[in-house]
Amino acid sequence: MRYYFFHLMSWPYLPAHFADDYDSAWVWLPNSLYDPIKGHDLYQNYLDTLAYADELGFDGICVNEHHQNAYGLMPSPNLMAAALTQRTRRCQIAVIGNALPLYNPPLRVAEEFAMLDVLSGGRLVAGMVIGGGPEYFSYQVNPTYARERFREALDLIVKAWTTPGPFLWNSKHYFFRYVNPWPRPIQQPHPPIWIPGAGSLETVEFVAGRRYAYMGIPYFHIDIFRRMFGLFREACEKAGYKADPGQMGWGIPIYVAETDRQAREEFEPHLWYFIRNLLKNISLAPPGYTSAKSALAILRNRGQFLADQKDWDAIEKGVFAIVGSPETVRQKLDHYRKELGVGVVLTGCQTGTLPHELARKSMAMLAKEVLPHVR
Amino acid sequence: MFDALKKLRYGARVFLSRKGGEPEVIDVGGRSVSILSGGEGPPFVYLHSTLGESMRWLPFHAAWSKHFTVYAPLHPGFGQSGGFDEISNIEDMAFHYVELFDALGLGEVILGGVSLGGWIAAEFAVRWPERVKKLWLSGTPGLWVEEQPLPDLFRDMANIPRLRALLFHDPDGYMAKMVLGDHPDEERRVAGYQAMTVLARLVWERPYDPKLARRLHRIQCPTLLLWGGNDRLVPPAYGEAYRQHLPQSEMKIIPNCGHLAMFEKEAEFVEAVTAFCQ
Repeated sequence: MRYYFFHLMSWPYLPAHFADDYDSAWVWLPNSLYDPIKGHDLYQNYLDTLAYADELGFDGICVNEHHQNAYGLMPSPNLMAAALTQRTRRCQIAVIGNALPLYNPPLRVAEEFAMLDVLSGGRLVAGMVIGGGPEYFSYQVNPTYARERFREALDLIVKAWTTPGPFLWNSKHYFFRYVNPWPRPIQQPHPPIWIPGAGSLETVEFVAGRRYAYMGIPYFHIDIFRRMFGLFREACEKAGYKADPGQMGWGIPIYVAETDRQAREEFEPHLWYFIRNLLKNISLAPPGYTSAKSALAILRNRGQFLADQKDWDAIEKGVFAIVGSPETVRQKLDHYRKELGVGVVLTGCQTGTLPHELARKSMAMLAKEVLPHVR
Repeated sequence: MFDALKKLRYGARVFLSRKGGEPEVIDVGGRSVSILSGGEGPPFVYLHSTLGESMRWLPFHAAWSKHFTVYAPLHPGFGQSGGFDEISNIEDMAFHYVELFDALGLGEVILGGVSLGGWIAAEFAVRWPERVKKLWLSGTPGLWVEEQPLPDLFRDMANIPRLRALLFHDPDGYMAKMVLGDHPDEERRVAGYQAMTVLARLVWERPYDPKLARRLHRIQCPTLLLWGGNDRLVPPAYGEAYRQHLPQSEMKIIPNCGHLAMFEKEAEFVEAVTAFCQ
């Protein structure tokens, strides 16, 4: 059982009436709301938090990629991962991930991930994503080719890492006469590949077929995760093998404090900041980004997404977050990780406005008083 | 109440005009093409907008069929029309149509369309001008007018009231509410999503063809530019831009009309096209 600490690096300084005055925290959110001086302190503080996770003994730390938004301030997660290679000694550094269709040429990902693997001494987890819907608006990349480009780019990158170069590559979207990345990764045959997903059958079957690891992105009702990992195990069986728990990751925010009541009091306002402001318009879906069938399924699943939740009761019942005393968190975490059958938990608590000291306190309690009992 | 009656009346007109618009699926180089046709007279090809309005034989198709043999095909990716995998840009659409016309045995045609359909017609005409007897374009993108950038239709695609405001002069009128209903059923939603997927494939990276302007001089046939005076999606300035490159063209504005003249001002629209094409 492995535990990873993830960080979105959210922007905590949105105006008080943001949710009423703005229709989106994404794409067209005016960047005059960003303050680079405050941004400097914030990056330091967020990097400190991730370095602290390494000290506390988390198995890994996670960064990810988003563009033109207040939800996550890492348009280049690889830059943050590079900084973290110099601030951490032991833990894995999971970049989950690079949105492959946004990179042209995608060989850039093969190169930068290899750099990170070499810099970190073989501690990289290579996450590859299609990228969220809003990114296709921000980068003006054609969403109707998102899936095709993702698969071609992924195959190209893996081949670039595993086949001696130079070689020629020719596929529908990419042609390269000389594929020959320097450096090559330390981990052999290549760094572990994680693919985050939100439960679409297309992605589940693809990841199972390739024997990569499937990371269920957080913010969904527990029923969605139950179904998702069930589908994943089935897909692995269809592909002729039994799913390894390490191939399944569950994304779940966790906050620990001295008592249940204190935990809720300390955490709840910051979760609402996140839900009401930062998730606003995250589900912006460009046409062709998914099949019409999947688009319809997403519409039907409305109500099972964190952004649709209206009160604390709904958060608790849907297990959108685990919040409580060490004992409560221990019990819930143990119950659900076993029920879901996952071997990887991706947790975080920094929703943007949570004070730095509280984030550190919760992380320390989680690492010292909870995780040793749920390994 | 009054609107409900108007809707019923339109429904009755659709019902009464249905004959003549028999749907057919034909094979064009391995791609299936769904096509409605009807009427008698010189061949007249109507290319539909992203709404996919040629899925049904509507009163405006029927009105033209009194004067022409009307062909109303569905573009690749719409309804039963396949071949979307082979489409990556607007030129592919033009090539699709030359193959369709060959398959139908159509030499020279009267060609026109609304919005996306008009753009495909223009791209066809610059490549095969000898096959276009007359050309008409309505609410047609394809060019770029620096002073009036086209709005982002995709941003508003899930917001029906905003979409209606973009597409109709009178977004509260019965026609706006009939074409873009408040509660579309799943079938309509899927069709809408597919239609927007085709459009996204063509225009997402760049919502115009940078080569079209310098090719337009190849079109020598009579050309009508028919615009809703209040078209907010593709403003009349785009018609003006076409006119500048097509000195033989005439521009006609339909007052109090948005982007979809065939719905919002059907009578004026049909009359203007018919008078020009006869």
